[in-house]
Amino acid sequence: MNFISPPPEGLSRLRADPLLWEQELDVRPEFAEAVERACGKRSGRVYFRSGHDHLYAIELADLGRGRPSMAMVFGFWDRWEPRPPEHEIDLDLLALCDWLARIGGLNPADVAKVAQKAGIVPVWPEGSVLRTPDERFASLPGFEHSAKYVEIEGLRMAYVEEGVGDPILMLHGEPTWGYLYRRMIPTLAKLGRVIVPDLIGFGRSDKPVARYAYSYKSHVRWMRKFVAALDLNRVTLVVQDWGGLIGLRVLAQVPERFARLVAMNTGLPVGNAPGEGFLKWRRFALGVETLDVAALMRRAVKRLTEAEAEAYQAPFPTKQHQTGALVFPGLVPVREEDAGVYENRAAVERLKALDLPVLLPWATGDPITAAGERELRRIFKNVAAPLPIEGAGHFIQDDAGEVVAEHIKKWMEETSV
Amino acid sequence: MLPGFPFERRSVVVNGRRMSYIDEGKGRPVLLLSGNPTWGFLYRDFLEPLRNAGYRAIAPDWIGCGYSDHPRVDAALTFAHHIADLVSLIDQLELRQFTIVGQDWGGPQGVGAALQRIERLRALVLMNTWLFTGLVSKFHASPKPWTTWHAPLIGQFFMKRHKVLSQHGPSATTVRGLSEAEARAYHHVFDEPDSDHVVLTWPRTIPMREGDRGWEDMHRIEKRLPELSSTPVLLLWAPGDEVFPIEFGNRLKELLPHARGPIAFDRARHFLQDDRGPDLAAAMVEFLNELH
Repeated sequence: MNFISPPPEGLSRLRADPLLWEQELDVRPEFAEAVERACGKRSGRVYFRSGHDHLYAIELADLGRGRPSMAMVFGFWDRWEPRPPEHEIDLDLLALCDWLARIGGLNPADVAKVAQKAGIVPVWPEGSVLRTPDERFASLPGFEHSAKYVEIEGLRMAYVEEGVGDPILMLHGEPTWGYLYRRMIPTLAKLGRVIVPDLIGFGRSDKPVARYAYSYKSHVRWMRKFVAALDLNRVTLVVQDWGGLIGLRVLAQVPERFARLVAMNTGLPVGNAPGEGFLKWRRFALGVETLDVAALMRRAVKRLTEAEAEAYQAPFPTKQHQTGALVFPGLVPVREEDAGVYENRAAVERLKALDLPVLLPWATGDPITAAGERELRRIFKNVAAPLPIEGAGHFIQDDAGEVVAEHIKKWMEETSV
Repeated sequence: MLPGFPFERRSVVVNGRRMSYIDEGKGRPVLLLSGNPTWGFLYRDFLEPLRNAGYRAIAPDWIGCGYSDHPRVDAALTFAHHIADLVSLIDQLELRQFTIVGQDWGGPQGVGAALQRIERLRALVLMNTWLFTGLVSKFHASPKPWTTWHAPLIGQFFMKRHKVLSQHGPSATTVRGLSEAEARAYHHVFDEPDSDHVVLTWPRTIPMREGDRGWEDMHRIEKRLPELSSTPVLLLWAPGDEVFPIEFGNRLKELLPHARGPIAFDRARHFLQDDRGPDLAAAMVEFLNELH
């Protein structure tokens, strides 16, 4: 177990949730003593992070018997947010039980066997994950790429892959999917191995129906695991909208995998008041029953044909399929106390230390992310000259994808890594 | 609402906590004592036959079980607490010439209380239980209980977070096949999170080796068993039970050589009262009727 020391300001943002309460740890004294040895203390807390990035603590109390006599296991969640899916917590606690069995001289295989026999199978419950039927994607004008799949935490994550060479990873945002990059893929596939994943809940990726399955943290984790699953290195990261909120965090977590960054009309919110443009969108998006994505995209991207607009609607045959898209606007941290602010501030500090080349093509007709360019420019050391894209709006890849791709191509050739 | 259980619930306060019990009929009292993780519902097939035979059938729920209070503190659920709670019930109901019927923890806790009020004890009926140290069943010695179910912290994951025992007790070992409604009747009393402390404190009290909590109290009871040499004892046994197999019945017979039995009941496992209720009740009534 890798114990960590979370800073107090990080902890104070979280809600400590007692998950296991052991009043009789010394019912087996040798076990209690093994726990003391492994934790390095007889009383007090040790913290660790799980495979789901969740923070946990074991709290020990010495009641004067010369060994820890009480123990509590806490999970730490975002202060005002409901718990993540219970099977994630079960997986994390089973990993803890496995560790306890090892250090306590028990057989970890027994734990696994009993869990299985008791029907404790920590996977997505039956019916809790939807998959958009393939026929919804039968006709995708301008996007004839067949999907590839990789499984991340029991969820099928879809991506398209074109070209060879160093990876160019392109991340979409709300409420789109990989289709958004269709005008850029042909140009960039000549430069490298273009990889365009669909976020969980979007495109051809799986779609959990529970809203608590989606958090800022879970999206970051899924994307980091995606990059690791494909073992991507020397990556040129291309992001827009939520693709940036997620991608920039992944970049801060595993910078060694990345060589360049292209950020477009996005940001890394740290709890400052967002612009009125975003708040207006958020009020709208959180007020509707469902998002009419086709209509929304037609309004936003003037040159879109009806068939193209329908391709954006394709992943969402029902409201349930749309959960990920419906919760996204509410996950953007807009206040000091919101989930993600602390992690984003920490990410900003790590990003400041990076000197990878950064290009910021920015659509000038986007009221939602107007301030983002300036903020990102302040974070990164090695940023190319401003690249305003006139006549383009929030979905810059669709409004001006061909032009932007040419800019990226030219810049990549100048910044060989 | 509870299938086959139309009986009125009563309660008294014992040691500051409310103890629920069923009290049916008039006559010499018969205390029907269940164990882990059940409650008075386990004796639903005994109450009417006993009442009809002229006995006062009393089925209490141990503190932590059934409709009694469910304290959240393990320290309130020790061997000694359970015994003192039952002594308090015997005193408050002013029971005289009472018979103790015990299965599982109902055995040692019932006998433990009876030894404190031995002047008023009439008879003992013991079913798939034990009153001694030094014999550990294959079940309790197997890796399952002590490396998983009862292990510190790990046990909390299985027993408390997943309620492996409190929601899968008699229903997991039933021979005759419990109905869904009957299973719910057993389980619903532990629906609330954290309401099932007793489900873990009990197995952890099983004396397997010297120094275990429960060892000393069990040893004291065992040492006093000779005092029961003139108390009529009936042993009813389900040899199909892996928790207390017939060796435990034979050992009780060695310690209480005047006991009748063990009389074997097939088609039954640990919760024999549920599997063979009417047959066991009939055997019990016959035994009690023979006492002058």
